[in-house]
Amino acid sequence: MRNVLAIAHKEVKAYFDSPIAYVFIGFFALLFGYFFVALLSFFTSQSMQMSMMGAPVNVNQQLITPLFLNTSVVVLFVLPSITMRTYAEEKRSGTIELLLTSPLTDMQIILGKFIGAMTLYAALLAVTVVHIGVLFWKGNPEVLPVLTGYLGLLLMGGCFVSVGLLISSLTKNQIVAAMVTFAVFLLLWVIDWISQFTGPLAQQVLTYLSVTQHLDDFTRGVVDTKHLVYYVSFMAFGLFLTARSVDTERWRG
Amino acid sequence: MIEVQHVTKRYGPVTAVDDISFRVERGEILGFLGPNGAGKTTTMRIITGYMPPTEGRAIVAGFDVLEQPIEAKRRTGYLPETPPLYPDMRVSEYLTFVAKVKGVARSQVKARVDGVMERTRIADVARRQCGQLSKGYRQRVGLAQALLHDPEVLILDEPTAGLDPKQIIETRQLIKALAGDHTIVLSTHILPEVSQTCQRVVIINKGRVVAVDTPENLTARVRGSEAMYLQVDGPGPDVSAALTQVPGVSGVTLNDGAGGPVSVEVTSEDGRDVRRELASAVVSRGWGLLELRPMRLSLEEIFLHLTTEDTTAAEPGVAPPEPPQPGQEEETTHA
Repeated sequence: MRNVLAIAHKEVKAYFDSPIAYVFIGFFALLFGYFFVALLSFFTSQSMQMSMMGAPVNVNQQLITPLFLNTSVVVLFVLPSITMRTYAEEKRSGTIELLLTSPLTDMQIILGKFIGAMTLYAALLAVTVVHIGVLFWKGNPEVLPVLTGYLGLLLMGGCFVSVGLLISSLTKNQIVAAMVTFAVFLLLWVIDWISQFTGPLAQQVLTYLSVTQHLDDFTRGVVDTKHLVYYVSFMAFGLFLTARSVDTERWRG
Repeated sequence: MIEVQHVTKRYGPVTAVDDISFRVERGEILGFLGPNGAGKTTTMRIITGYMPPTEGRAIVAGFDVLEQPIEAKRRTGYLPETPPLYPDMRVSEYLTFVAKVKGVARSQVKARVDGVMERTRIADVARRQCGQLSKGYRQRVGLAQALLHDPEVLILDEPTAGLDPKQIIETRQLIKALAGDHTIVLSTHILPEVSQTCQRVVIINKGRVVAVDTPENLTARVRGSEAMYLQVDGPGPDVSAALTQVPGVSGVTLNDGAGGPVSVEVTSEDGRDVRRELASAVVSRGWGLLELRPMRLSLEEIFLHLTTEDTTAAEPGVAPPEPPQPGQEEETTHA
């Protein structure tokens, strides 16, 4: 465990010692701020109309859920550039020789890198706490859906990071890693779009595979085991494949 | 301490290392010598557990590198060809990180890092970023990294590459000082390095071991019998005749110096030292003895000899070369 944390700490330091972390967090804050303002303006005008008609408004459903779903789209673009360097850079600079000749198992290295990338991702999400906090200050949204929404975002990010690690472990080239990772993320995102044109079984499978479908419930305050199983097994499978990839690489030389 | 048994490594159709076997005893410094692309780095990577061999096995400190990699790696320090530095990290941070992943006890990390920085003389750059260091400093930080967990076995891939002459001498002294407590394998293609630092040499060419011996024995093996080189200020034929009469001399080859001093090469019967007799034979006749030295082949010559002749390279032993002709030392060795 100490080894895992040592690697994770090194990864986080690498993000924060270079401009990477600050650029990501800064631009993420900019984008999220824009989404927040846009959705908030829309929400206030809508709630004004609704209250004139006497209908109740729900901050959680009409503002926070869309905010989270928008965040997940931004994450889709940001995460590939966080994970692209994890293995590719070590291979390119030769530091992989240090890691692979240290008394570490492949899984310890992979978990360390996973935790490192997740820490930066969590730091990104932490920015949004400020905006959500404003809503709690000025309004009275429910706490539970907000918490589960963050949980959902973290789990979804975990899946993406595990895929990103796998792809980064397959190449020395960071640009290739980023592009392929982005393509795979996007595919996982939209994989259910064709489900309505396929047979009933394929429809179920495709819908289940889509990463977004599982996020929806979380943002509404529902933690369904089915979604947890999906995310956790997705992550475990991604990390397992990464371990296989690292081991294969070693045999190939 | 280190045992390499019939190790073969193939990258697809290319065989990088072909059935290499050798042992390194505790406390020994073994030089790993060969031209670029001979398979030095591949062999070292196999010993350090970076990559598995296609066939054969490597045993470090009693642990099979493939079967018990963690135990073996705990006892191995490795300086790869390119020092594995993270450019954004400061030197002290980097070493602290390495100490942690190498399993140095938490309470000892700081002491070990400081001690190693002291030993490799990098304390003055502790606060600098690794990416900003000069080649010499990078190499030394790389060496420091390999020493951190006080490993029993040190594998150094070209430890003096890129250093200036003063640093090279310092690094060699450091390596020599480390022997005894540590078992060291160092690779190089710089020959004086081997004769100055190593107790034993493995010469490798095209993935095969060409010779294993001490630098002295290697020299002696290549040269069949002891040969002396003399430069005499005197008449050529007379000098030749006089030297042939010296007891113990088995052959004299003369190379007339066209009016100037003559060069003579004298071979003696199985290692008999005839230097005194040769000197007095020359001086007693009133000629000037300008030079008298044993014609031992330098390691460089042996190396070229062993690695350029495929017929001898295929044999584990070393075939003696043709008797060198006086004044033709250069040609013989570069042939």
